[in-house]
Amino acid sequence: MTWRSLLGSLALAGALLVTTAVSQASAWSLEEAAKPYAGTELEVVFLLRPGYEAAEKMLPEFEKATGIKVNIIKHPYENALGEQVRDFVANGDLDIALIDLVWIGNFAENEWILPVDKFLANKDLADPDLDMDDFFPLVLNAFGGWDSKIYGLPFDNYSGLMFYNKCMLDEAGFAGPPETWGDLKDKYGPALTKNGKYAFALQSKRNETQSADSFARVLWPFGGSFLDANFKSNLNSKESQMGLKFRQDLMQYMPEGIVAYDHAETVNALAQGDVAMITEWSAFYSTLTDKNTSKVGDCLAIAPEPKGPAGRKPALGGFSLAVAAQADEKEQAAAWLFIQWVTSKANATRYLEMGGVPARQSVYKQPGIAEKYGFVNALVESWQDGVPEFRPRFAEWPTITEIVQEWGTKIMLGEVSTEEGAKEIGDRMEKVLEEAGYYAGKKPLAQ
Amino acid sequence: MLRYQNRRLTIFWFLGPAVISLLLVGIAPLVFAVYTSFHRYQLTNLRSTPFVGFKNYLFVLTDGVFWEAMGRTFTLLLMSLPIQIALGMGIALLLHKPGLGYLRTLTRLGLVIPMATTYAVVGLLGQVMFNIKYGVINQLIGFLGVSPINWLGDSTNAFAAVVFWDIWQWTPFCALVLLAGLTTVPGEVEEAAKLETKNWWKVLRHVQLPFLIPGLTALFILRTADTLKLFDMVFTMTRGGPGSATELISLLIQRVGFRAFDQGLASAQAIILLILTIVLSMLYIRFFYKEVAQ
Repeated sequence: MTWRSLLGSLALAGALLVTTAVSQASAWSLEEAAKPYAGTELEVVFLLRPGYEAAEKMLPEFEKATGIKVNIIKHPYENALGEQVRDFVANGDLDIALIDLVWIGNFAENEWILPVDKFLANKDLADPDLDMDDFFPLVLNAFGGWDSKIYGLPFDNYSGLMFYNKCMLDEAGFAGPPETWGDLKDKYGPALTKNGKYAFALQSKRNETQSADSFARVLWPFGGSFLDANFKSNLNSKESQMGLKFRQDLMQYMPEGIVAYDHAETVNALAQGDVAMITEWSAFYSTLTDKNTSKVGDCLAIAPEPKGPAGRKPALGGFSLAVAAQADEKEQAAAWLFIQWVTSKANATRYLEMGGVPARQSVYKQPGIAEKYGFVNALVESWQDGVPEFRPRFAEWPTITEIVQEWGTKIMLGEVSTEEGAKEIGDRMEKVLEEAGYYAGKKPLAQ
Repeated sequence: MLRYQNRRLTIFWFLGPAVISLLLVGIAPLVFAVYTSFHRYQLTNLRSTPFVGFKNYLFVLTDGVFWEAMGRTFTLLLMSLPIQIALGMGIALLLHKPGLGYLRTLTRLGLVIPMATTYAVVGLLGQVMFNIKYGVINQLIGFLGVSPINWLGDSTNAFAAVVFWDIWQWTPFCALVLLAGLTTVPGEVEEAAKLETKNWWKVLRHVQLPFLIPGLTALFILRTADTLKLFDMVFTMTRGGPGSATELISLLIQRVGFRAFDQGLASAQAIILLILTIVLSMLYIRFFYKEVAQ
């Protein structure tokens, strides 16, 4: 066989392979894939947030195309984890798990959810256009990944952004938002806190808001973190303390009673023109642009969160959807089809238009999207700088977050100093980790 | 013999459903709670639930957080119950006056509203009404020239708000119970006493109060039990915060059991609370029932 004939044969074989792949890809359709599962009913927990309302509006189309019925059980965020844990422990009805990024370790280690590999390997179920590489890598790995495996596909995606009232900033002589946390406190704070108005509001209520939105938010940009490389508390390090003390100093420019502010109060404070700046999740964009819920109107502007000495390190949060292991084979297949559909590239634009925030890179590259949705540029930039372990994602987080919430609030109230509070959290956190077996080498130091 | 058997069967059919229901709903969970309290029973790690003996109990008994929550619960009880009884007594005495007609009926109906409102709704109302900026409470005190008070964001004020709200909700209950007690005083005795003296306190102390003791006993027992298990109102209003300022014992147990998922520790806390409640009930019964007997 000559080189020419060998190359010819290889080219022919390659062409055949490509043709087969293309024909398979074009042959796949949701309707065909779902045929064996028509009539299957799925149970899933949704939150009372804009992204879920968007998905709910899109749902009839999926149900019509597939004959699969999706039953949504709505819960406020604070109840969602407990409801799901109890359901999984009791081998209940949920077929799809809704996973906050800090629950992924817990769900994966308990084998309540299935890795996506199982479905990607099934050509009858895997949409050839799924394109896993199109998800923002940070978001896919942080929201849906644990221990080098992907379990969930990013569904309701957030990054911390700075929402601000540019009219108030203009009036005070600022051409734009603060670039650093230091500027926010030292320049913008004094200038914007007057006549019953405040420069900034940092949601700090004693629940996950205190841990995620308040405590962790001042750790990372200042170089701090919850744990060091040996999984010992890093909260009394110079950097972590700098961040926590900064929060105490910044409180003079926040409304009184900030420890009672949850997301609703904080977003409302900006929406009503009572504060000039907030750092909130991207998901609240639709609330702040809705004329029925916000008076800010055209004064609303969005920027990435300010930088600290260690960089931007914005808050990272969001939810993925994964197939529940307790579902039977038919339900698992139907659940995968739903997850794949609702997070697909094809539906990303519609999801965005209806108030959701997709994690698809392609949608934000479309012409006109950045102009239409003011948060896009800041969001994309934030998803380059985020820290996956912004809050540790291991199974022990539900216990640790309770400790952080209690003592984090006590620090803010001045009931204990930042050092005392950090030591209390650190000691209790280490005890939890010790009992879990991290220090005895029973568990890998993964967060 | 047959008659005896039939009688036993009848008793079984009458009592059986209630006993079985009680066993299933009340006793079985209690037995399970005792079981879990002796184990490391983490809901998110049920693959390993080793027997830990009294470790959970020892932890609870030496845990400052548990005793602080217990202290707050009893502080709430000691602050709110006397005020509820005093105000309730005042309302009951006012409604007991003759010649009020429809006004009495209307007031009685009005008194039912706070206690008929779901605890969680009361808490949510509190959250809105005590809001520092938009709350109606600050609006009202603003008319008196008082600056807005940071109710829910300050530890002391948040606890005061919870006490106030508990008094608002349960004073009517005290009033209705005491009013019912006042109606049991024989008319001629009360009339004779009022002819003897114009001092209302003497009438209350020597004539009416003895008839109010059973009602007061019931109030003490019911309100103590209610306060020890008070959860919904505080949870929806303050969620135990700010810090731990309003974290009552029931909120702590819920937090440990259902948010940190440590069912073993939460069960130990609940069992200790149960023992304390039983001791307290026995003390009430011993003191007050003795009074009634006398």
